[in-house]
Amino acid sequence: MNFRSFSTALRQWGTFLGLLAIVVFFAWRLPETFPTAQNFLNISQQISMLAVAAFTMTIVMVMNDFDLSVGSTASLAGIVAAVLFAAGQPVWVGVTAALAVGVLGGVFNGFLVAYIGILPFIATLGTLTMFSGAAFMISDGKTIFGRDIPTEFAGFARFGIPLDAIGLEGAKLPLMTLAAVVVLLMVWLLLEQTTFGRRLYAIGGNRVAAELAGINTRRLRLMAFGLTGLGAAVAGLMYASRVASANPTQGAGLMLDAIAAVFLGMTMGREGEPRVLATLVGVLILGILDNGLTQMNVDSYVREILIGAIVVSAVAISAFGQRRG
Amino acid sequence: MQTLCFQGLTKAYGGVPALSDVTLTLSAGRVHALMGENGAGKSTLIKLIAGVVAADRMTVTRDGKTLPLRTAAEATKAGFRFIHQELNIVPQLSVAENVLLGHPAPRRFGMFIDWRRMQDKAAAALASLGAEHIDVRQQAGALATGDKMLTRIASALVAEAGAAEPCLYVFDEPTAALTASESTKLFDVIARLKAQGAAVLYVSHRMNEVLQICDDVTVLRDGRHVLTTEIAKTTRVEIIAAMTGKPVSDAIPARTTPVGQGVACRVTALDTRDLSGLNLSLAEGEILGVAGLDESSQTAFLRLILGQGRIQKGGLEVLNGPAPTSPEQAWARGIAYVPRERRSQGLMLGMGVRPNALFPHLVDYGLLADKRAEVARTRGLADQVRLRFQGTEQPVGQLSGGNQQKVLFARAIAKNPKLLLLEEPTRGVDVGARAEIHGLIRALSTQGSAVILASSDLVELLGLSDRILILQGGRQMAVLDRQAMTPADLLARIYASEAA
Ligand SMILES: Nc1ncnc2c1ncn2[C@@H]1O[C@H](COP(=O)(O)OP(=O)(O)OP(=O)(O)O)[C@@H](O)[C@H]1O
Ligand SMILES: [Mg+2]
Repeated sequence: MNFRSFSTALRQWGTFLGLLAIVVFFAWRLPETFPTAQNFLNISQQISMLAVAAFTMTIVMVMNDFDLSVGSTASLAGIVAAVLFAAGQPVWVGVTAALAVGVLGGVFNGFLVAYIGILPFIATLGTLTMFSGAAFMISDGKTIFGRDIPTEFAGFARFGIPLDAIGLEGAKLPLMTLAAVVVLLMVWLLLEQTTFGRRLYAIGGNRVAAELAGINTRRLRLMAFGLTGLGAAVAGLMYASRVASANPTQGAGLMLDAIAAVFLGMTMGREGEPRVLATLVGVLILGILDNGLTQMNVDSYVREILIGAIVVSAVAISAFGQRRG
Repeated sequence: MQTLCFQGLTKAYGGVPALSDVTLTLSAGRVHALMGENGAGKSTLIKLIAGVVAADRMTVTRDGKTLPLRTAAEATKAGFRFIHQELNIVPQLSVAENVLLGHPAPRRFGMFIDWRRMQDKAAAALASLGAEHIDVRQQAGALATGDKMLTRIASALVAEAGAAEPCLYVFDEPTAALTASESTKLFDVIARLKAQGAAVLYVSHRMNEVLQICDDVTVLRDGRHVLTTEIAKTTRVEIIAAMTGKPVSDAIPARTTPVGQGVACRVTALDTRDLSGLNLSLAEGEILGVAGLDESSQTAFLRLILGQGRIQKGGLEVLNGPAPTSPEQAWARGIAYVPRERRSQGLMLGMGVRPNALFPHLVDYGLLADKRAEVARTRGLADQVRLRFQGTEQPVGQLSGGNQQKVLFARAIAKNPKLLLLEEPTRGVDVGARAEIHGLIRALSTQGSAVILASSDLVELLGLSDRILILQGGRQMAVLDRQAMTPADLLARIYASEAA
């Protein structure tokens, strides 16, 4: 029953082996500071925002679409919440409004892509600028911080569940990490186990065929973009909570990293398809590289070159492995 | 060149043998048929000698001299030309560019592409196939399926100045997508190639063609060689027996019960953008054949019932209700559809057999996946259509062409549809499985499902249909009672309506 050859298996697991290699490398070079429970907990918190954005980005990438606007959606969501806080609104109002903005932005993307028929690249490039402009407009281009941000909101990023019970004295599992894990579970369930998710894969497999076989491709694409927008808003709120402030550009770096993480994960798919657990591997690779290289005092420009080169070579190796039958 | 000898052809995909130590000898000026059931290894053999797929083992000699053959470029250089089974035109390019794909473009001053000369060259190649009706400036993606195939054949026929005269032409099921008259023109071309002294390797599941145009035949079964002989020294029955290992009847089961009383579909004075003046009604259990040279109106008709396309005038009543307004609604109401082009319109090639066969019906398996039930259902369906596969999770793209077609048919019958819309349901399917599919269509009709069957296979059309609708240019030319009609009669009616 095994029709996967050894080389395919190697290609599929190559990226995972790469992750292990990176961990081993840093553990060897930084034996004091890298392989510690506290550092791993730190990494998990550092990557939690990227993780949320990348997991939900996977939802649209399953259909061969993608969303360039997640970064500005995240910024906009943070700003909307902060502006409402500054106006004296309670935390739940600000958070709900921010999430609603994310969903609406995503649905707008979905509408442009699925109902108007604009290519996702162009549609979301357009909304990227629109959302970013809106964030500047609402905030007057200023950073909102200090007393305007309620402590309950900023506290979310500071709190954690004490891990003394499992022998880690003083360590805490950050709530941010927990949030990312919850999102991961939800996206996994949605994509792998529900009819909805499997239809998204069918659309990614062949959109024309999916439509002719009775799948409402437009509605599903709209909904998928809505979920990606929602995820971006969650990531934006997490970021705002972490830095206890909001400014109109703070989500900007999110989009490229999220797409890179999904692409890294796609090298593990049997047919090169995105899987959310594989996206997790991609996120871990990016996050651990960043953490380790920073600790090794590698210059941040060099760090960017290295990370970019690693992403490109992983995808190249996988493309090479897929070449001939 | 006198003889081309391929020895020890062997290929396994991930440990599963697709071709085991097959030897094939081709002679100049002879047409050699390659036959076998779906999945027997015909296309694999062709991909090996085309250098598209790396062989595990293969020795090639031409007139006793060894020939290197590891890449597609080496195969072209050796003078081999291929028409592979799956359509692979480049849809965004023009017909002319597609025909000259892989050939150097004619240039002006050695620099700029000479579009005029390119178009003339492409038009000449198409004309040699009798396909003058194809506009070479048109975008290839917009062509009808048959015209796409003609474009690809023309591409293999383009002569290249300075290059060696091609010595081998390989056709992998070229007629599966052609009408009877287009096939006839192709046979003339093959006769000409043969007279020029080229060797031809020809794959088809249509026994009549093989007996008509081939000189020799080689039969494969389960990737092994079982028979090579001259056509003149064998019979249809012997070839089928060699292919299947047992005798198989290719007779189409006749109607044994009367058609039902209820109406499954009623069309009254219907006009749409692509169709006009349609008037007919289809009873439950009835099989309506749709024939004609213009397949796009057949597709438009079936897709209208599937909920695609807007009614401009007239009425359409389907399964005792209004016409569905989307394919989603149509499937939900018990209408199932097999589209014409399995790869572009039907299948998710990268996904497994299970999702491909079941995904219009996923809700029936609950909100959350019940893998066990799905696997069991998939296995049941696979048995019914005689699918040859390695497991329910094997990507459909790894199946042989005919087996891909079976998955598509399995999807359509997965839930006992009340109205079954079929376009070329047995395209590329072998003799045994074809009989199985015909049996399934007949059984559904006996249970009261109505069927609309568009097919260019006149034997199939006459064997299954109760009445035959002839469509031409979107207009209803006739609705014929099939009683006592022969394929020749039907063909005459089809051509009469084209002239009209
Ligand atoms: N890329 C692939 N990966 C795994 N198995 C494959 C692949 N391509 C073909 N096969 C297997 O090799 C076998 C032979 O397939 P092949 O396409 O040669 O059949 P065929 O004789 O051309 O059939 P058909 O009449 O349906 O076109 C089949 O069992 C098929 O599943
Ligand atoms: Mg084949």
